[in-house]
Amino acid sequence: MTDSDTPSDVDSGPRDPESTGAADREQPAEGSPPSKESGDGSAEPDTTKAPDASNTRNAPDAATDPPAALLTDRRSLDTRVRRKWVARSLVLGAVVGVGVGATVAGVVSGSTSAPDIGSGVLAGVAAFVLAGALGVGHAVLLFRSWEYEVRTDALYLQRGVVTHVSTIVPFVRVQHIDTSRGPIERALGLSSLVVYTAGSRGADVTIPGLTPAEADDLQDRLKTLAQTATGEDAV
Amino acid sequence: MRLHPLSIPYRVAENSTQIFGAIVIAVLAGTSGSDTILASVAIFLGIALVGVAAVSGWQIAYYRRFHYELTADTFDINSGVVSRREREIPYHRIQNVDISQNVFQRLLGISEVRLETAGGGETEAKLQYVERTEAERLQEEVSNRKRDDAAESDDGANDEDRSTRTLFAITPHELGVLGVVSMDFRLISLLLGGLSVLGPSIVAEYLPDLDRLFLIGPLVGIGAIVATALLSGVISVLRYYDFQLTRRGEEYRYERGLVQRFSGSIPIEKVQTLSIRENVLARRLGYASLTIETAGYAPGQGSGARSQSAIPIAKRGRVFELARSIEPFGDVTFERPPKRARKRYAARYLLVALAVVALSYVVTVRANVTAPWYLTALVLPVVPVAAHYKWRHRGYYLGEEYVITRNGFWSRRITIVPAYRVQTVLGTRTIFQRRRHLASVVIDTASSSGLVGEDAVAADIDDERADRLREAVADRLQVALRTGRSVPPRRD
Repeated sequence: MTDSDTPSDVDSGPRDPESTGAADREQPAEGSPPSKESGDGSAEPDTTKAPDASNTRNAPDAATDPPAALLTDRRSLDTRVRRKWVARSLVLGAVVGVGVGATVAGVVSGSTSAPDIGSGVLAGVAAFVLAGALGVGHAVLLFRSWEYEVRTDALYLQRGVVTHVSTIVPFVRVQHIDTSRGPIERALGLSSLVVYTAGSRGADVTIPGLTPAEADDLQDRLKTLAQTATGEDAV
Repeated sequence: MRLHPLSIPYRVAENSTQIFGAIVIAVLAGTSGSDTILASVAIFLGIALVGVAAVSGWQIAYYRRFHYELTADTFDINSGVVSRREREIPYHRIQNVDISQNVFQRLLGISEVRLETAGGGETEAKLQYVERTEAERLQEEVSNRKRDDAAESDDGANDEDRSTRTLFAITPHELGVLGVVSMDFRLISLLLGGLSVLGPSIVAEYLPDLDRLFLIGPLVGIGAIVATALLSGVISVLRYYDFQLTRRGEEYRYERGLVQRFSGSIPIEKVQTLSIRENVLARRLGYASLTIETAGYAPGQGSGARSQSAIPIAKRGRVFELARSIEPFGDVTFERPPKRARKRYAARYLLVALAVVALSYVVTVRANVTAPWYLTALVLPVVPVAAHYKWRHRGYYLGEEYVITRNGFWSRRITIVPAYRVQTVLGTRTIFQRRRHLASVVIDTASSSGLVGEDAVAADIDDERADRLREAVADRLQVALRTGRSVPPRRD
């Protein structure tokens, strides 16, 4: 990939979401003198035992900050991922519709006479339409809520409709990174990235709706960042 | 080295009881055609003997084909009768070497040795069974070799610290308190399950009048709780009988149990988080318990718990003292969630209470009985009180090197997470939380208890605070790593 040398956020990044409010974290180090960043393309692991001289909470240790090229700004997913979610909810809606229809048909007619097909079909279709509408609404809202960002020390994600979850995955805790493509994703030309940590609740974090090129790019970035992060073991 | 010869009869007995069911079925099938009792007995004995003989043959073969050895770098185990398995486990991968011994094994002088490694849901290797002294020798040897390995890979910074120091030994008084305050609510499901089977028939026989059901329900409930408390108390006393915690070099060693004796170790460098638990009764009496959570599967505790008990019960001050000697977290003042969080809990409990009242009304109407269903409305005034107490016992504290959370009223848990053990940090906001500008922050660690949903959570705090807390915890992790912290500090 040739754009690994240019700051990724300027031209080749995917559609930037409208800024949702100031990030309360210090900005990634694009603004710092480039000589320091590109000089240590592979930032040396911080094995020094001497504590950071300033040791203030947010002071970045410039010698070990990753190169700006690896970081990204806030990104959202590819719009095609909405189709994937809608497809999934339509399938679910169909199942629900059939179930509801069968139940209603059986219940309305009583246990003795033959099942009332008419009301069953009506109920089933109504359930399917309802589920489909909910699914479409959910997919749209979920897409809007999705954001991810590769920051100086961690990967940041946020997503969710009913329960909004924002996750910080420090690079030093990343065990390994997979890309995966399910059948619907392959049909739509999408891919997912799965980041594994040693944690128990946030053990694996998935970013869906990336194009294969984006997914590979992100995987490479994260691998480099994880390798050069401090720490002997990820536990 | 081989297993102990007495392990053969023990294993035969063990496996025979397992196939006992199969024997019984075979016998029942076989004796269905016979006429006299004598013939049945003869057939039963015959089949049983064949079964036991088959098992014995297998166990003898297993014994003969089982070898283990402590080599320079690895613990080698070769086992298997038909399909052979040769394992070489490097010492630095072995997290714990645990010994357990039940009553029968103690009579025979044998014990089971279990090797645990980090990760994986099962014991890595088991030696069933070796002599007790040999088991202890293995524990000692593995621990020594691990220390030697570590000393080589470090720059000789570790001194030889072979002193053993007893940190805690339970007194009979404390054991008594443990019996009183233990309440394992999982037992309730067992009790109520049994009751549901026997209950209806008893009720039908003695109390045909359905009106009395309203008295029976609460009585049964209280009775179940009391019975559970007694049973848990007895189980806890048996479990933690003669509990001892010692520190030996870079490990904590514990021993416990009356009927079944366990002995295990907790390597200090694998300590993830500490939990201090106090249930309602314990708080009243001023007692608490301390558990140490490590990464991966924690053995010897049964199916539920996955953390190792460091102090089953002791005075609160003592517990905090020992906790601070493992992780020096200093004084703690908890920040409570904002008061509007109480409204959330009140709303939740109100719904439950209304559901109970409605249910009792419906039951009364449907069953056509005259019963004071409206008495269940007495539950309603309890709702705000419950909400307040739930709120009161929540809190979090963000220190320079530690994040500490506190949750729970009936069973309150204080979780101490060192900054260098933080994995991912999550902020969650449900739709109801968003309405009230609240959020929860979950601090994920590699400790096993996270798997059963017992992470460190700063619940229902102000959402701006939550955002800042999330970032701050992630920052603390980075600072801690930069200053080279990866293990608990050495304390003398």
